[in-house]
Amino acid sequence: MAQALPHRERALPLKATQIPEDVFHVMRRENLARWPTGAEVDLDEAAAYHLSLPENKRLGTIMRKAAAEGRCLSQPRGGFATLEMQRELMQVLDREGLADVVPTTTDSYTRNEQWHNAQKGIDESTRAGRSLLNGYPMVNYGVKATRTLVEAIDKPAIVLSGTAMPRLTSEVGYAAGYSGYLGSAIAYTVSYTKDVTIEEGIRNYQYLDRLVTLYQQRGVELHRRQPGFLTGTNIPPCIAIMTCVLDVLLAVEQGVKNYGLELGQTLHLIQDAAAIRACEELCQEYLRRVGHNDIFTPITSLHWMGAWPQDEAQAGALISYGGTLAAIGGAVSVTTKSTHEAIGIPTPQANAEGLRMTRMAIYLARNIRLDAMDEFRREKELIGREVRPVIDKVLEMGDGDVAVGTVRAFEAGIMDIPWSPNRQVKSRVLPARDADGYLRIFDPASMPIPEDVLEFHEERLRLRAEREGKAYDHELAVTSVYEICEPLSHLAPFPWPKD
Amino acid sequence: MTTERAPDSRPKTLVTGVIGADTHIVGNRILGMALAKARYKVINLGALTPAEEFIKAAIETAADGIMVSSLYGQGELDCRGFRDLCIEAGLDDILLYVGGNLVVGKQPWPDVEKRFLDMGFDRAFPPGARTDAVIETLARDFAARAQGLRRAVE
Repeated sequence: MAQALPHRERALPLKATQIPEDVFHVMRRENLARWPTGAEVDLDEAAAYHLSLPENKRLGTIMRKAAAEGRCLSQPRGGFATLEMQRELMQVLDREGLADVVPTTTDSYTRNEQWHNAQKGIDESTRAGRSLLNGYPMVNYGVKATRTLVEAIDKPAIVLSGTAMPRLTSEVGYAAGYSGYLGSAIAYTVSYTKDVTIEEGIRNYQYLDRLVTLYQQRGVELHRRQPGFLTGTNIPPCIAIMTCVLDVLLAVEQGVKNYGLELGQTLHLIQDAAAIRACEELCQEYLRRVGHNDIFTPITSLHWMGAWPQDEAQAGALISYGGTLAAIGGAVSVTTKSTHEAIGIPTPQANAEGLRMTRMAIYLARNIRLDAMDEFRREKELIGREVRPVIDKVLEMGDGDVAVGTVRAFEAGIMDIPWSPNRQVKSRVLPARDADGYLRIFDPASMPIPEDVLEFHEERLRLRAEREGKAYDHELAVTSVYEICEPLSHLAPFPWPKD
Repeated sequence: MTTERAPDSRPKTLVTGVIGADTHIVGNRILGMALAKARYKVINLGALTPAEEFIKAAIETAADGIMVSSLYGQGELDCRGFRDLCIEAGLDDILLYVGGNLVVGKQPWPDVEKRFLDMGFDRAFPPGARTDAVIETLARDFAARAQGLRRAVE
């Protein structure tokens, strides 16, 4: 289960400023002692190992290069219970899937620091000859074994570990030669936990971001990434971007320079393109306000994160279109899914197919941009008008300290996340899809989004209710959760429905 | 969504939540909303709920059934021994439902269903099952129980 914060640390007040070196030294020693494989972590040796890797295996460098060249990289997700299964998966994704970035997703026991349960999962999976875990138990295998995975591929490797408790997994992953790590204080605490407080989540990711600066001091630029997809369920771009801005502000206080932001696709071409552009601009705007002019903030676009259709042909359309959305939006990378998504975790082959479908779509969409479109400009400007009042209020509530402001803002519902499992999140804000397929806010609850903006959202949603002959109520939000996974007989029937 | 009533006048109490280390809350929350609309008393334990907490809540609320959600693939590990825990707690005959993406990877549904029924669940629902179907089955099962049967016959 979630570890309680060590006593000494709890005594320190929460602050956004960088953890002092001597304090961090003690924190690391205590952290690494929590599981036997922690003893394998040797920072100087690990930094030297990273420096020995060729450029094509360093994600920090690859992301900068892709951004400079206007490329959209492809990366899947994937993790299995045993080292052998994981190695085979990563090689298939690298060679058959042509993945530009190769992932290792950890299993949910590891994410929740239940390493004893993870061990049982390894043992049972070995006996059964199939994976009973939904990811790779990185901490149980440790640095030396996990490094063989990095050595089995020719691309950079990234750790995907949906958790508010990344302290030990990040130590093992980075020491093993992974050059990227996905996860952030706000996004993962509100999306992947029930009882972890926002404060604990912030402290845990301050640890991870502080660790990255130790590598930086040794000449290794690691990539950090923020999972702005949140609960993956109809997250309007503005809410995702609010968490991106707050998380990057927290990370740079610890000294991080290479920090990506992820946005789940809304599946509306113009809204997604506007969101990608607005996210980078708003992050840079707020970074400049606190004096940071040298932070690299590439955007990653994610294939649909809500419920998927069972029909593999329909799923195939979401995959290809997702490549199109990412490429036209100007994302530096896209994270892919497969036609098995509705059923669960894909086979390595299905996963590799998802990558190739996406790659082809990216190829076809090269050099198309929407910047000249009025509707694109309207949406981008709208996102700015939604994000700024909320972020300004959060910063004001913290008296200039983003960590303190974030905790207070969630308590007050000023920051709110749809469909959150976390008890500290009000989760009263409700999104719904409008008549044209844009994600809008049906109920802002206590979020300080300006009246005129909300009037626009309401007008668009009322139009949908009217067209569908439905009441203007919260059912609009519930049916929006299911919409994309409905069968074609429902979404686009023949004969055509009468208006 | 239908608003079928529970068959007898006393509202039945159902404990629900997402089992294990799983945080996929959306489907479970929508199921909870639909059950409440169908006049069930719903005790929603939310995400990340250990098996023991379902049973504790079922005892405390004298529940008529437990509805377990799992979407992350590890449900097969988390649900093992669930019926045994119920029996140890004196809830030998409590109605047990499970639903979601219950195993890792694409496996034939009849095999998966049998695995969970063998574990002692009364019903298992496949990926993508809708709340209407669950509520309809619940009504039939409670009606069968009023007749002294364990559950409705297909």
